[in-house]
Amino acid sequence: MKKMSATRLIVSLAVVALLYAAAWWAETALGTNSMLITVLKKGAVYALIAVSMNLLNGFTGLFSLGQAGFMLVGAYVYAVFTIPLKRHAAVYQYYNGGIIQFELPLLVALILAGVVAALLAALVGLPVLRLKSDYLAIATLGFAEIIRAVVQWDSLGPITNGSNLLKTYPTFASTKILGTTVLFPMIVAGVCIGLILLIINSTYGRAFKAIRDDEVAAEAMGINLFKHKELAFVISCFFAGIGGALLAMFQGTVQANSFKSAMTYDILLMVVIGGMGSISGSVIASYLYIACSEWWLRFLDNEQFIGSFQVPLLRSGFRMVAFSAVIMVVVLFFRRGIMGDRELWNLRLPGRKKAGRAKQ
Amino acid sequence: MSENVLRLENITMQFGGVVAINDLSMRIDEGEIVALIGPNGAGKTTAFNCVTGVYEPTNGAVYFHGKPIAANHPRGKMKRMYAGSDPEKFLNMQTSMTADRITKLGIARTFQNIRLFKSQTAFENVLIATHMRRTSNIFTAAFGLNYKEEKRNREKAMDLLRIVGLEDVADEKATSLPYGKQRRLEIARALATEPSLLLLDEPAAGMNPQETLDLGAFIQQIKRDFNLTVFVIEHHMDLVMGISDRIYVIEFGKLIAEGTPEEIQNNQAVIDAYLGGNDE
Amino acid sequence: MFDRILPYLLAGISVGGQYALISVGYTMVYGILRLINFAHGDIFTAAGFFMVYITASMPMTVSVPVVIALTVALGFLLERVAYKPLRSAPRMSVMISAIGASYLLQNLMWYVTGGLAKQYPVLPWLSDNVQVFTASTKVVTIVTPILTIGLVVALVMLIKHTKIGMAMRAVSHDFETSQLMGIRINSVISMTFVIGSGLAAVGSMLYFTNYSTVTPTVGAMPGLKAFVAAVFGGIGSIPGAVIGAAVIGICENLIKAAGYTAFSDAFTFALLIIVLLFRPTGLFGEKTAEKV
Repeated sequence: MKKMSATRLIVSLAVVALLYAAAWWAETALGTNSMLITVLKKGAVYALIAVSMNLLNGFTGLFSLGQAGFMLVGAYVYAVFTIPLKRHAAVYQYYNGGIIQFELPLLVALILAGVVAALLAALVGLPVLRLKSDYLAIATLGFAEIIRAVVQWDSLGPITNGSNLLKTYPTFASTKILGTTVLFPMIVAGVCIGLILLIINSTYGRAFKAIRDDEVAAEAMGINLFKHKELAFVISCFFAGIGGALLAMFQGTVQANSFKSAMTYDILLMVVIGGMGSISGSVIASYLYIACSEWWLRFLDNEQFIGSFQVPLLRSGFRMVAFSAVIMVVVLFFRRGIMGDRELWNLRLPGRKKAGRAKQ
Repeated sequence: MSENVLRLENITMQFGGVVAINDLSMRIDEGEIVALIGPNGAGKTTAFNCVTGVYEPTNGAVYFHGKPIAANHPRGKMKRMYAGSDPEKFLNMQTSMTADRITKLGIARTFQNIRLFKSQTAFENVLIATHMRRTSNIFTAAFGLNYKEEKRNREKAMDLLRIVGLEDVADEKATSLPYGKQRRLEIARALATEPSLLLLDEPAAGMNPQETLDLGAFIQQIKRDFNLTVFVIEHHMDLVMGISDRIYVIEFGKLIAEGTPEEIQNNQAVIDAYLGGNDE
Repeated sequence: MFDRILPYLLAGISVGGQYALISVGYTMVYGILRLINFAHGDIFTAAGFFMVYITASMPMTVSVPVVIALTVALGFLLERVAYKPLRSAPRMSVMISAIGASYLLQNLMWYVTGGLAKQYPVLPWLSDNVQVFTASTKVVTIVTPILTIGLVVALVMLIKHTKIGMAMRAVSHDFETSQLMGIRINSVISMTFVIGSGLAAVGSMLYFTNYSTVTPTVGAMPGLKAFVAAVFGGIGSIPGAVIGAAVIGICENLIKAAGYTAFSDAFTFALLIIVLLFRPTGLFGEKTAEKV
C-alpha cells in the first residue's frame, strides 16, 4: 500500500466532513422521513457490513458466506440488552418477561454486539478456517444457518424471544445528533470503516493481502496462515456484528428469520459491484445498491404511462428483475467492479504525473 | 564439533505409490554453498519442500542447527504402501513445523516457479517479508504506534531492493517485471526474513550466460554480506561448478553421488545419469 | 415405537431420494467445473412453476415431458449465459456469477408469479394414498427411491459406457489436458447441465407432490441440502451423492420424529461441517494434492 500524501489525506477527510454536513443539512431541509434520508441511513449500515465482508473476501481472499449469521448475533445482542426494562413484559410475553433483567447503555450494547460476534467468530474460525475456497464458503454458510436455528430455539426464548420479534429497543430516532437521525449511523459506520482502513494499511493488512495473493509464498515468508486468517475473520465479524446492531436500529424490529443466506448474497454482490479489494468501492456500491433497490428503481414496480402509452412489463416485481439483471451484467462483463482494487483517494488525477512513493 | 547447519537424515517422500525421494541423507555446514543437482523430476524441489515445511516427509528427519524441524515415520495408510527404507528408525520422533515457523528459525527460500505476491509492487513484496519479525500487534500497527519499526522496515526493504539492483522498479507491480528481475526480487524477499540459511530453487532458470555469470558472483557476495549458508538447486553446470563448495547429485529420488565439483565432474554414475546412462 | 417412527422413516427415504436427484446435478457440475452451482436449487423451483403453468393448459401426459424439456433448456441456458463467459476467470468469480444467477432466477419467478404461492397440480396415481405396514402415505413415497435408483443406475451406465460419458470422466479428471486432446469441452459441460437439470425436474415433481405449494424461494433450502449431500458423499462421486442424500433425508426426518423440527436444517449443516473437518473429501471423494 502506498503511503498517502498528507495533502490527499486532508482533502479526503475534508470531503468526508462535507458529505456529513450535507447529510445533516438534507435532513433538516427534507425531514426525517424523506427517501433520501432513509437511503443515507440504510446505505451507511450496509456500507459498514460490505466493507467488513470485503476485508475477508477481497483483502484476505477467504471466501466466507457467514456474514448474515454474525450480523444476526450483533443485532440480537444489541436488541436484547437495550430493550427498556419496563417493556420486557410486553416483548417477552411468551417467556414471562425474559430472564435478562437489566439494560445496557446504547453505546456499550453496540460494542458488545461486535464483541460477541467476534468471540463467536473466533470459535467458528478454529475449525472452518482450515478449509479452502468453496468449502470454506459452504461451511460458513452452514454456520450462519445453524446460528439462525439456535437463536430461534424455544429453550433460549427467555433470552432471544424464540422466533418472535424483538422490538421497542432504541432506534436511530433516539440517537439524534444535532437534531438529526442521519448522523449517528453515518458516524458509527464512518469510524468503523476508518478503523478497517487503518488495519488494511498496516503491516497486518499487507500480510492479509499476501495470503490472498499466494498462500504458499506467504507462509514461506513467515506469515502464520492460521493466525492471520483467524485475525481477519474475527475483525470482519466484529464489524459485521456492529453492522447487524445498526441494522436492528434502522429496522426498529428484529427477527432471526430475516437473516437468511439471501442477505449474505446481497452483501456479497455489493462487494463485487464495488470491487473486491476496494474499501471506497464497497461504500459507493452499498449506497448505489440501496438507493436503486429502495428508491430509484421503485417506478419499475408500478404501471407507467408515457402520454397514453402504457410501458409494457412494468408491474410489481419488475424492479428486482431489472436490478438483478444489471448485477449479472456487472458480474459477467465488469468483473473488476466500479473500483477494481483501487481506492478513490489513490486515483491519479487526470493530467498529473504519477505520484512517487512518499519519502521513506 | 559444531553442529551442521542443516542435516537431512534418511528422508523419504512418497505420494501414494510414487516415491519422489528415497532415503536421502545430506548435511550442510556453516558458510558453505552446497548444490543439489539431478535430472528433471529427480526430486530436488521436493527435497526443498520437505526442508521448508511445505511437505511433511513420509519418513526421516530434518535438523536445523541440531534441532529437528521435521521428523516422521510411515503412519496410517502409508504403513502399508511405504516403499522406502528404515520405517522403524524414526518411530519415536514426530515433529512437523509449519513453513512459517521454519522461516522464523532462519531458513528462507525462493521458488522455482516464481511465486511473488502478484497484486503488490516490488517494494511491497519485500516489505511483506519483514512482517514476521514485527514487535507490533494489531492495535499498535493499526494506529501507527509502530512507526519507528515501520520506518526501519521500509528502509530495509529499500536497501534490499538496492542490493539486488531493483530500486528503480520499486513501485512497479511485481508480476510486470521481466523474468530475471522477478528472480532477483524473490531473493530480496527471502533476504528480508533475515535468514541464516538461504535455499535457492533454480535461481538461474531462464537467464542467459552473462546473467548466469553475474548471478554466481551475486550469490557469493550476498553469502558474505549476510553471513549466509546457501543451498541451491540448479541446472546450469557452469554456475554450480563455479560457486559450490560441495555438490549432491540425485536421480529418481536417490542420492547417487556427493563431493567437490571436481569429484562430481569425474564421477561415472553422474556422467551416466546426465548422458542417459547405460543405453549409450 | 416402530409405528411411531415408520412414517418419518418413509418420509426420510422419500425426501432423501428427492435430494439425491438434485444432488447429482451439483456433484456432476462440481466434478467438471469445480463450481458450486448455487442456481441449481432455483432450476428445481422453476421446474415446479413450469408444472403449475403447463398443466393449466395441457393434459398431464404431455405436461410431464414438456416440463422436463423446459427445465433442461433452462439449465442449458443458465450455463451458456452465466458460466460460459467466465471459463478462464478465477473460481471465485464464477461462484459469484452463480449467486447472481440464482438471485436473477428467484426475482424472475417472483415477478412472473406475483410472489404468491402456487398450488402444485395433483399428479394422478403418485398422489394416491397407500398403506405401508401401519403407516399411510402417498404412492410417491414408495416410487421415489425406486425411480431414483433406476435413474442413477442409468446415469452411471451412461457415464461408464458411452462416448460422452467417457468425455465427462476425462474432463473431470483433467480439464486442460482433455481440452488439448480435442474433447469438445463446451458440449460436455452443456451435457452435464442438461442431465443435472433433467434429474432436478424429475426430483421437483416428486418433491412438490408431497409439499403441494411452490414459491419462488422454495428451492433454496432443498438445493443447499442437496449440495451438502454431494459434499458428504464426496463431491464428484454420483453414488456418493445418492448415499449422502439418503443419509441426510433420513436423519432430518428422524430429528423431526424426536421433536426437534427447528433443528432439522441446522443438523444438515452441522453434519456438513463435521464431514469437512474430518474427511474433507467426503465418503467417496478422491484426494488431490496441491502442487508447489
